[in-house]
Amino acid sequence: MNTAHKLVEQIKSRHIEPRPQWQYTALKWAVWTGFGLTVLIGALAFSVILFTIQQVDFRLLQHFGHSLLEGLLSLLPLIWISFLALALMLSMYTLRYSERGYKFTLARLAGYSTAFSILLGTAFFISGGAQQLEQAFAIRVDLYQSVQEKKEQLWNRPEEGYLGGTIVSVTPEALQVEDFDGQAWTIDYANADWPPRIQLEPGEQVKLSGEKTGAARFEATFIRPWGGQPLNGPRPKMSPKE
Amino acid sequence: MLIASKICDELTDQEVVDRALREVDYFSCLYERYEPALLRYVRRITGAGQDGAEDILQDAFIKIWRNLRGYDPGMKLSSWLYRIVHNEAISALRRQTSFGKNRTVDWADAEPLLLHSLLSEVETEEKNIPAEQLHHWVSQLPQKYREVILLRYFEELDYEAISDVLQIPEGTVATRLNRARKALEKTARSTPAPNQKKIRP
Repeated sequence: MNTAHKLVEQIKSRHIEPRPQWQYTALKWAVWTGFGLTVLIGALAFSVILFTIQQVDFRLLQHFGHSLLEGLLSLLPLIWISFLALALMLSMYTLRYSERGYKFTLARLAGYSTAFSILLGTAFFISGGAQQLEQAFAIRVDLYQSVQEKKEQLWNRPEEGYLGGTIVSVTPEALQVEDFDGQAWTIDYANADWPPRIQLEPGEQVKLSGEKTGAARFEATFIRPWGGQPLNGPRPKMSPKE
Repeated sequence: MLIASKICDELTDQEVVDRALREVDYFSCLYERYEPALLRYVRRITGAGQDGAEDILQDAFIKIWRNLRGYDPGMKLSSWLYRIVHNEAISALRRQTSFGKNRTVDWADAEPLLLHSLLSEVETEEKNIPAEQLHHWVSQLPQKYREVILLRYFEELDYEAISDVLQIPEGTVATRLNRARKALEKTARSTPAPNQKKIRP
């Protein structure tokens, strides 16, 4: 009896059967589903990071009394950055263990995972989903402080020259603004700078940089829309009466 | 009843796999077709004797049988077989540390063409190095270098096949081979084979 014969006899006598096809199919599906899910989580995290960046007015940050770094760190969505990093690592791992994943170098694994997450995340951000996701997360997770909450804290420091709120009324001399604590402020804006796209009208949410001049009085040097960076360049300083 | 060699010879690898899944006797065609090359590889990578290598190969073929439905036809069957046999051989090597201590591999029985290119690529002063000496140097290499040298120069697999066997990117195969050749040169200079003079740098 030659070795081939022995082998076949051994298979027959021990009733060894090949694993069923469904196990391989299930494994393949599990790996690709894992990859899809991790890319999706990475994309969602990336979209929220984009949303946060949109919410930060970098040109105003440099006017902060504290350092630019401190201002940035206070707004950085560290939790989402962690989610993104974790999701990217997991998606690289699952891709590596796909059928031909070993063919990819580490750089290509990272490249594919990042590219998919960035593309999907950008699409999700453009569709407006990032803001909703961020808010939903803030509502459901007690410990999580939303970008809006952080931003409100950052712009609720009139003593340090930062004020945010909603315009209640507008006159050529002053704005009436209600801050996030419900306190009413009279804003002198004769010497303030604001971008052309901002509408100084009741109901508009704004953030102001300037100086507190009284118990409920504030002199603004910059006025910016609350919802993020203006898309066009800085507007030359002009009087509201112009 | 085993399948006659004549019938086996007429079948492609894929046909053998398909038929074996329907009738286990056809699995012997696969074994007979690849046994000589795989047995030689097991002996070279583990340093095991004939009996030990046959045991490892039998165990590997049981795994091949169990996983036969997982074979992806997009890959060469030989690469897939080498992969499973390689993994089984490495596991056996780790379990059985006595392998290789008394190597009985008859290296001289096979001197593939590519081996001559390895000899010409390894820069030593001595030319016409006996195969036995080269094998001694190869056996001194760390496992990750030894396996690429064996697969490339002894088994004559191309980079793609080595990538499939070791499950590493082709670029890594190239890098590892390059480092393996350098390690071989270093070994050649520092470790003279028995009854051989030390090669000067």
